Amino acid sequence: MAQIELRKLVKSYGRNTVIHGIDLDIADGEFVVFVGPSGCGKSTTLRMLAGLDEVTSGEIRIGGRVVNELDPKARDIAMVFQNYAIYPHLTVRQNIAFGLYTARLSKAEKRKQVEDAAAILGLTPLLDRRPSALSGGQRQRVAIGRAMVRSPAAFLFDEPLSNLDAQLRAQMRIEIKALHARLGTTIAYVTHDQVEAMTMADRIVVMKDGRILQAATPMEIYDHPGDVFTARFIGTPSMNILAAQAEGGAYVPAQGAGRVLAGVRPHDLIVGGDGTGLRLEGQVTAMEPLGPETLVHFMAGPVPVTASAGAHDRFEAGQTVRAAAPVDKVHLFDPATELAIPRG
Amino acid sequence: MTTTADTGAPRLSMRTRRALWVWGFLALPLLFYGVIRFYPTLDAFWLSLTNANPGNLRRGPEFIWFDNYLRLFTSRDFWQVFRNTFAYLILGTPISLVLSFVIAYYLDKLRFGHTFLRALYFLPFLTTASAMGWVWRWFYQPAPTGIINSALGAMGIPGLDFLRSTTWALPSIMVTAIWAGLGFQIIIFMAGLRAIPQSYYEAAHIDGLGAGAILRRITLPLLKPTTVFLVVFSSIGFLRIFDQVYNMTTNDPGGPLGSTKPLVLLIYQTAFQSYQMGYASAMTVVLFTVLLVISLLQLWILRDRG
Repeated sequence: MAQIELRKLVKSYGRNTVIHGIDLDIADGEFVVFVGPSGCGKSTTLRMLAGLDEVTSGEIRIGGRVVNELDPKARDIAMVFQNYAIYPHLTVRQNIAFGLYTARLSKAEKRKQVEDAAAILGLTPLLDRRPSALSGGQRQRVAIGRAMVRSPAAFLFDEPLSNLDAQLRAQMRIEIKALHARLGTTIAYVTHDQVEAMTMADRIVVMKDGRILQAATPMEIYDHPGDVFTARFIGTPSMNILAAQAEGGAYVPAQGAGRVLAGVRPHDLIVGGDGTGLRLEGQVTAMEPLGPETLVHFMAGPVPVTASAGAHDRFEAGQTVRAAAPVDKVHLFDPATELAIPRG
Repeated sequence: MTTTADTGAPRLSMRTRRALWVWGFLALPLLFYGVIRFYPTLDAFWLSLTNANPGNLRRGPEFIWFDNYLRLFTSRDFWQVFRNTFAYLILGTPISLVLSFVIAYYLDKLRFGHTFLRALYFLPFLTTASAMGWVWRWFYQPAPTGIINSALGAMGIPGLDFLRSTTWALPSIMVTAIWAGLGFQIIIFMAGLRAIPQSYYEAAHIDGLGAGAILRRITLPLLKPTTVFLVVFSSIGFLRIFDQVYNMTTNDPGGPLGSTKPLVLLIYQTAFQSYQMGYASAMTVVLFTVLLVISLLQLWILRDRG
């Protein structure tokens, strides 16, 4: 039993409240990714879960037990830090063994557990090296190994891949995901990278300004973002958002009263397309050939818009282009609240 | 730089030009150190094998082989001074390091008044040694002048004649010397503590280490480079102690009965009061050797076994 429950969780520093009463249930074995911009409170939430930061009010339960007043070591969790927090003066073996510091096991048993974890992570040949002799990815694996040997009820990851280069990050994403599939342990994972959130999560929790905006599966969030911020934050390139007006089953750019905010993903807005939901026209400002497709940036009136075109289509800056999206790919938001408008 | 007309390239290669610049800048300090530091040092080695004194310096002192060293090693005064010097070193270095680490460790955890307290601890380092020596000398005076004896008296404890006792004079002076160096060591220790990432401690908390285990297994090992530097630095300081001793015992420098006299003070007296330059040079060579051996030994003992 290792479900995690957050109930009306609040964190304040003096008069400054950074977490405004969040509620969340994380199921046993679930991989939940907290994502949001810097200062949204995702790391603070994780640190409260770990017991590194005090809870101002509200409740945290891990496996049904209220842990608000428990020391980090008593919470049955393990944490992996952004800078790995592995000790430069100890070998890989000693670093991983730190996870078993409080475990009541014989030396031989501890040794076996360390070696088992190392084998899973492919660290066996490196066990007697110092961290300075390891690559960034290997260091991160050592940190994960130290967390693993604790066999915790839940793993907490605090931006674990931020210090790695892009290629290694892609590789570690897959490794962590595979590890989760293998161990089946609950994971709470914090990142500011929406690609990590999309690719790894069972469920994404989008946070902003100390509140949860939306908590749902990656595809649900991608297909039905609950608000403008989530819509723009999840998915690359970002969703186009512009003021529009309904006109005979379609939407046209408009200003003034009676308008809505219409959002369309660049992948759904096709240059020269025949969609009828939203039609835009404007002068090309830039072009980005990506290989499988080409992104075309143009000005739809005052609004910069990104659309997609075929891999070999070429455009000149200043050239006028038309782009269109089908009606079911247009997302509508209330201009006042910026919340999604459900479509019947 | 002149250039050849056809290619526009400078006549000297890039490498040569760079080397010229580097040596140009290095020449001045090299010259300075050569004349002011290295030549006198080497000269002292030679002088230590002569009977140099102001009377014979001009026509050239006589070469007397190792007579100065033989005289030194059979002199009771020298061995007394040697013992004193090592007493300053062997007591002073560990006490001052432990003290400054403890203060730095707790000061680092303190938020309120942190900057003020740190400045307060650093203040003695900015004070001249002679002023400090004299102030502490007054502290140690018999009541009612000396505040320490006054305080002892108020508690009903009989006064102690700190600086006039052959037992207590050396420890009393050492206290002053430790106090003088404390501020610097605290600042260095604190810089070392600050350089340890916070997440190391957080990870250790999660792994269930207590405060003692964290100190022993994380803080102290990671602070080792700082500690090595301070051990060597502080040892050299105590081996060369002079100011405090001289200023606190001016009526009989190094007294009472030579019980506080360190090597540097003996060298000073031999060279500039008795004018036995050759003999003093031999002592200098001994001090140089001791400093070198102890520093290398410490670096070797505390080396990183990676």
